[in-house]
Amino acid sequence: MTSARGRLRSPVAIVGYGLSPIERRSSKPLGALAIETALAAIGDAGLRKEDVDGFTTGAVLPSAGGHAAVDGVSIVSATWMGEHLGIRPRWSSGFQGYGQLPGSVMLAANAITSGAADYVLLHRALANPAGRYHENPMLQAPGGAQWTAPQGLWGPPAQIALPYNEYMQRYGATREEMATVVVELRNNGSRIPWSYWNGKPITVDDYMNARMIADPISILDCDIPIDGVAAFVLTSAERARDLPHRPVYVSGYGQGSPTALTSGTVWTLDEMMEGGRIACQRLWESSGLTREDIDLPQLYDGFSPLVYLWLEVLGYCPEGEAHHFVQNGAISTATGLPIASGGGALGNGRLHGVPQMLECYLQLSRRAGDRQLANMEVGLACHSSPHFGGAVLYTTEPST
Amino acid sequence: MTELTKPIPVPDPRSEGFWSAAARHVLALQRCESCGRIAHPPVVICPACLSGEARFTFVPISGRGRLRTWTVMRDAFLPAFRQEIPWVIGEAELDDARGVRLLARVAAPAETRLTLGTPVETVFEDVAPGVALPVFRLLGS
Repeated sequence: MTSARGRLRSPVAIVGYGLSPIERRSSKPLGALAIETALAAIGDAGLRKEDVDGFTTGAVLPSAGGHAAVDGVSIVSATWMGEHLGIRPRWSSGFQGYGQLPGSVMLAANAITSGAADYVLLHRALANPAGRYHENPMLQAPGGAQWTAPQGLWGPPAQIALPYNEYMQRYGATREEMATVVVELRNNGSRIPWSYWNGKPITVDDYMNARMIADPISILDCDIPIDGVAAFVLTSAERARDLPHRPVYVSGYGQGSPTALTSGTVWTLDEMMEGGRIACQRLWESSGLTREDIDLPQLYDGFSPLVYLWLEVLGYCPEGEAHHFVQNGAISTATGLPIASGGGALGNGRLHGVPQMLECYLQLSRRAGDRQLANMEVGLACHSSPHFGGAVLYTTEPST
Repeated sequence: MTELTKPIPVPDPRSEGFWSAAARHVLALQRCESCGRIAHPPVVICPACLSGEARFTFVPISGRGRLRTWTVMRDAFLPAFRQEIPWVIGEAELDDARGVRLLARVAAPAETRLTLGTPVETVFEDVAPGVALPVFRLLGS
């Protein structure tokens, strides 16, 4: 039993959601998509927009391409959302950092618990800007870029390739082993009606023949950039009782919060694991739950190797063994640990932690339709790398 | 066909010492005057002692080290690097600054068999007047 630190003083629940179409490029401006999705979420929760008095998001545009972050066009901030819904919110705050979904849930839950807001709309809007996502025509490299761009290292795929290669070399992991993970995520995504990859499963051969970007990262190890928005409504457990859907409770959370990079230019595998262990310790402390309690661990997979890191920091297998652990049906939704049932980022498109959070909500609220899994009581939604992202534990009953 | 121009590092008050030494083909890293800790990339406040003095000097250091990891780049998000595909980028831990890592292109063909711990030395390549970049050369092969 871990000691209680960081626990919510009173239970908070998700009571409704909205999800836009997920398209490579939407015909609508991101802000319009966001408003439409927000109104859908508010209606789904059985509320009127006037009931909503708090807004939060993590609005970062995760592109190295130098695209301008224009509020309402390429990003949608919490304040923009409140302003354009025509609401004068009592509380509005953006999450600063990575792991935007768990970070925003932490902000929303604490705002509700403290009384700063009664009904919080939490959204994530992601744009796929024109041109190649990470392409950057810079001729001069100031700031952090001076250490990477002159060498030709640019963009997250190459940055994750470095610690992933360290993993593969240290533990003897292979691309064939990773094919199991990516194929499972894509196949689950292909069965989800709203997924960008709906009806488009892949085979191990597809994965093995995928175009390489930065060894050992191929195009299929990266989620596809899309235009899309998700919104969730959160409120207190007490108010949730009066609303139409079965509430799904926020029962704990943890963030990795790394210290500054001062010994090198990219994170090492060891630094990522260390931060991840801290995030998990906080997860257990804040919830009183343990890994064994989790029915539905939705691991983050915006880059495929992050699945290995989450499996290991959560303790599903010893460090360095995730590439073995995932084989032989162990992560098949039909026969094993359903880490990929929601399709994740690789099976839906670049919605950051939305697929993980949405799958926890749908399964725990019994709203997953023909994908409904039996006996789902505790879900875990991870986002980003474990060392600077985070995770939220959701339950069908409020924590005590 | 016109050759595209690669990005050139823009020194700032913290990094000027690194790039001026690099221009002379010398590897120099930022050392805290209060506690002696080497930091890279250069910092505004020493992560070891948090000294409010924030006084740093750049000290020459051996560019020998061992590869911590590497990647073979097969796509270029910076357009001028398309002509380099494939090229190798590595991060090496320096023998004389424990735990401190330097990132640089590895001067070796993409097919080269590298391992964690492959020994390298740092040399410099002039890329513009007064601007040189560190490059790793494999040792002992």
